Amino acid sequence: MQTMNESFAIEASGLIKRFGSFTAVDSLDLRVETGSVVSLLGPNGAGKTTTVRMLATLLRPDGGSARVAGFDVVSEAAQVRRVISLTGQFAALDPHLTARENLVLMGQLRGLHRRAARTTAEQLIARFDALEFAGRLVKTLSGGERRRIDLAAGLIERPQLLVLDEPTTGLDPRSRQVVWSTIRELVADGVTLLLTTQYLEEADALADRVVLIDHGREIAAGTPAELKATVGAQRIDVVAANAAAFGSLQLVLSERFEVTSVPERRTLSIPAPDESADLARVSAAIADSDVAVDEVALRRPTLDDAFIALTGRPAEPESDPELEEAAA
Amino acid sequence: MTAYVRSTALLTMRSLRALPRVPERLLDVTVQPIIFIVLFLYVFGAAIHVPGISYEDYMIPGIIGQSLAFGVIGAGVATSNDMNEGVIDRFRSMPISRLSVISAQVMGQFCEQILGMAIVIVLGLILGWTPHLTLVHGIELAGLIALGMFAFTWAGVLFGMMVRSPDAMQGVGFIVVFPLSFMAGTFVPISNMDAVPRAIAHWDPISALVASVRNLTQGTHAAGSWQLTHPELAMVIWCLILVGICLPLALRRFNRKLAM
Repeated sequence: MQTMNESFAIEASGLIKRFGSFTAVDSLDLRVETGSVVSLLGPNGAGKTTTVRMLATLLRPDGGSARVAGFDVVSEAAQVRRVISLTGQFAALDPHLTARENLVLMGQLRGLHRRAARTTAEQLIARFDALEFAGRLVKTLSGGERRRIDLAAGLIERPQLLVLDEPTTGLDPRSRQVVWSTIRELVADGVTLLLTTQYLEEADALADRVVLIDHGREIAAGTPAELKATVGAQRIDVVAANAAAFGSLQLVLSERFEVTSVPERRTLSIPAPDESADLARVSAAIADSDVAVDEVALRRPTLDDAFIALTGRPAEPESDPELEEAAA
Repeated sequence: MTAYVRSTALLTMRSLRALPRVPERLLDVTVQPIIFIVLFLYVFGAAIHVPGISYEDYMIPGIIGQSLAFGVIGAGVATSNDMNEGVIDRFRSMPISRLSVISAQVMGQFCEQILGMAIVIVLGLILGWTPHLTLVHGIELAGLIALGMFAFTWAGVLFGMMVRSPDAMQGVGFIVVFPLSFMAGTFVPISNMDAVPRAIAHWDPISALVASVRNLTQGTHAAGSWQLTHPELAMVIWCLILVGICLPLALRRFNRKLAM
């Protein structure tokens, strides 16, 4: 079996995983070209983590098949584990060892001798700018520090496929920037990357191709630009000043325009193919109605619009990030 | 094979290294047997009279047998704790034998229990326990203790993966192992017990552990059932049954384990 010249790092077809009566992944097809960055984007409970765990041989599919670098994830699981590196949503490190001890241990487990494992650990510590906390126990590190060590642990041997499951969930904005720039460096190095995320801007910023999933099914796929194009032209967002204003605004605007409503953000979104002319019309309608608004803005469509257009609801519900895990 | 031995050794070192950083995890094998010894020797011991033997000589072998059985709870709680850590997922997704992850779990627990056993034996000797061991019996005893630890640790690792939480393991241990370990002729002779506990004790596996240790160290001979008149053989059989059932099931369970 060829491993280096596979044109697809991941080829999955009809993947199914059920937990009792709940179908977490429902006939999912997924192809990731070697050398590309693909993002699985979906809300909590969409089946992202379950999919990734099947690809990483941690879960056995109930149906369908998947090959990673040409190896079947069920019958050739050992080979898959040799070419893949998975960094999960929760730090996969020993909390009672220091960051450095963790990296050395992972290196030794991957077959490096102690000295080589130490050298590699030091290189990774330098690369991830972790020198100042490398000697601390992992349980005492901040979320961002832990995530960086976690990423480093996944890169002890250069994997053919790197899988990052929600790499920035729960991180503060600064740590998120650090993780993003690390990921960009890896991608520049030519690593094939499968990235799951519930953040649209993350998929937009990092991925060549985005696969939108919901309820374990693919609902759309394409480049970020293509997905945004499915929503059409520019849009106007109107943000109501308060909940009452949102209600009346919705009444007023939906009489005259084709309105998409995002109540969580008190936002009404209106397509604006005529751009500034549409903006003038919307502004006039608001002025007539005498409803208090915070913001009226013309903007380019985002992946969020694509998600709403395709599923009828926003992709980032304000919900508990543990939900998907509980479901899994 | 050498890869298996190497990764098992590395992973065992990992658990042992973490121990001094979470000393509270050692309470069950260190402080708990000390409390039992002191309680029974100085609180209940004064009221218990076993003919023909000092209470120290009667009870310390009982505590040794009981400690072996308590290995199930200790290993179960530790395994349940460890399996919930994300790092296990990393190990499972790495190119190392899954058997080595679980073997390391057993080895780590084994070392903890050797420590606990050493504490029991040394404290017992200080407080007046006088074992009468020939060299052959000494070797036999060491072998039986090692086998018992191995078997009960595997059982604990299996149960630790089956329960939902470390607390659940503690609960099951308290409900099942605790009473069985008290009925096993550990602290009072089986022959004086009421009919029902006596019948249970006759076939309680922990009775075989206790009777074996007491036979070898004090030369006493228990009676009442086949396993009590042949405790060493019975103990070996019990241990082999436990390993034969628990080892393959634990491995299967680990491979299938869904929870993160």
